[in-house]
Amino acid sequence: MQEMHQHYNMLLVVLSYLVSVLGSFTALQIALGIPLARSGKQRLTSIVAAGAAMGGGAIWAMHFIAMLACNLGVQVTYDMVLTGVSALLAIVACSLGLAIVGSGTFRFVNLLFAGVLMGLGVAGMHYLGMMAMLTSAQVSYDGGVVVLSVAIAVIASMAALWLAFNLRGRWQMLGSALVMGVAVCGMHYTGMGALQLSEGDTLPAGFDQGLRGEYLGLVIFGLVALMLVLSLGISLVRQQRRAGLSI
Amino acid sequence: MAELEVRVVSARREGLLIELGRVINEYGHVLVRQRLVPDVQGACLTLVLRGPDERQLALEAALGSHPRVISFECMRTPGGAMPSSTAAPVAELAPLIQPELSLAVGADAARVERMLPNLAKDYPRIFPWLINLEYAVAAEARDASLHLAGRRTGAWVYKRDFAFGARLALNDAIKRIALPALRVLVSVEQHGDQLHVRGCPLCQPGSLSGGRFFCGFIEGVLAESVDAVTLSVRESSCHSQGAPTCVFDITH
Repeated sequence: MQEMHQHYNMLLVVLSYLVSVLGSFTALQIALGIPLARSGKQRLTSIVAAGAAMGGGAIWAMHFIAMLACNLGVQVTYDMVLTGVSALLAIVACSLGLAIVGSGTFRFVNLLFAGVLMGLGVAGMHYLGMMAMLTSAQVSYDGGVVVLSVAIAVIASMAALWLAFNLRGRWQMLGSALVMGVAVCGMHYTGMGALQLSEGDTLPAGFDQGLRGEYLGLVIFGLVALMLVLSLGISLVRQQRRAGLSI
Repeated sequence: MAELEVRVVSARREGLLIELGRVINEYGHVLVRQRLVPDVQGACLTLVLRGPDERQLALEAALGSHPRVISFECMRTPGGAMPSSTAAPVAELAPLIQPELSLAVGADAARVERMLPNLAKDYPRIFPWLINLEYAVAAEARDASLHLAGRRTGAWVYKRDFAFGARLALNDAIKRIALPALRVLVSVEQHGDQLHVRGCPLCQPGSLSGGRFFCGFIEGVLAESVDAVTLSVRESSCHSQGAPTCVFDITH
């Protein structure tokens, strides 16, 4: 079987990083409200919203932009159910991770659990998203590089969470979002490095019903626009509250 | 909406609840529960109150300086509000409650209250206002008033600039919150759990120490940011008494 090579559109690669940073920034803005929640309902809302922004925006949307950036030399569609499950996995893992790290005092053991959960969420989403790929090519992975990609996701997630919850000031959110972007993209592109494709001759069942790139592009555009609006909205509300605080 | 437990001791019980109730109402709080019991000094009134966070310190100051109040203690429930239908009796609440940092009883609360909006407006150029306060209040109320002004300013700065994030260990909270907050006002360095302030404008050699303002400020800025039940700040040496720097020891 002949080995196939990946080619990237660099503009979309840069865009994928920017989207993961924007998603992380939005998620962390919401997540920083978790320790300040005054009721269980408020806390749950913050956790789920932050998890959705991180899992759906920073991880899922980034993954599929990166997949659109990648030319595998073969036609690809995506299984809708697995694609949906991959987004759900990322959202649940990130919600749990942010809930752990946002509870009580900042401790290393919380950071470790949260970092592992979020790292596994990033990696789980990626590999489930890859499983959703419907193509005639034969797919296999280099195990060592897969482990490396998961390690990158876990370590960089821990670093991002440490920055977000421990620091104060201008680098608190921007710095942590930039690092979380590295976690997500570092994991993704290392994971893509582990991917080995070889030519096959039959299309899998359900190929024609699978999601095509143009539909994914629309969904991603919607998600990014929502994140921008959310991020801007939160910033404005906080600015107003800050200005209105009585001494 | 936060919940507070307040205990006051007064010489007479008659009309106490009504008079304090007016103050509570004035500061936008509601009375959730109350208990009045005899005390060796007269009567001890325990009140559980609920109201907006931003007016809590002002309410504490008003109650603490009320003419009928002999002694005053205030505690804040962690995590804020509880529905009244599920609320426990006052005595059962005690283990859940963390002691609020001591309020400066004896402060000229009314004068401090009048000055605070100016302090917020001109922040960080606040020293003229504080020097003015030092001269405006009675000598015996000076330290307590400076402390109260510091607490209120510190708590306000915390809410404005540092509230987002997790609770930190004391040393981390000093480094990431108290130090940058104080740097806006004065030249300051951290040495372990101490803060060294150089050239403090309120502690000029030969004059009275204004260190109580900084004690209050540090307490206010750290009160909700550290993982500690109690926190206290003490000035262990002062520039006004010839020391090269004012040193503040922070303990919990």
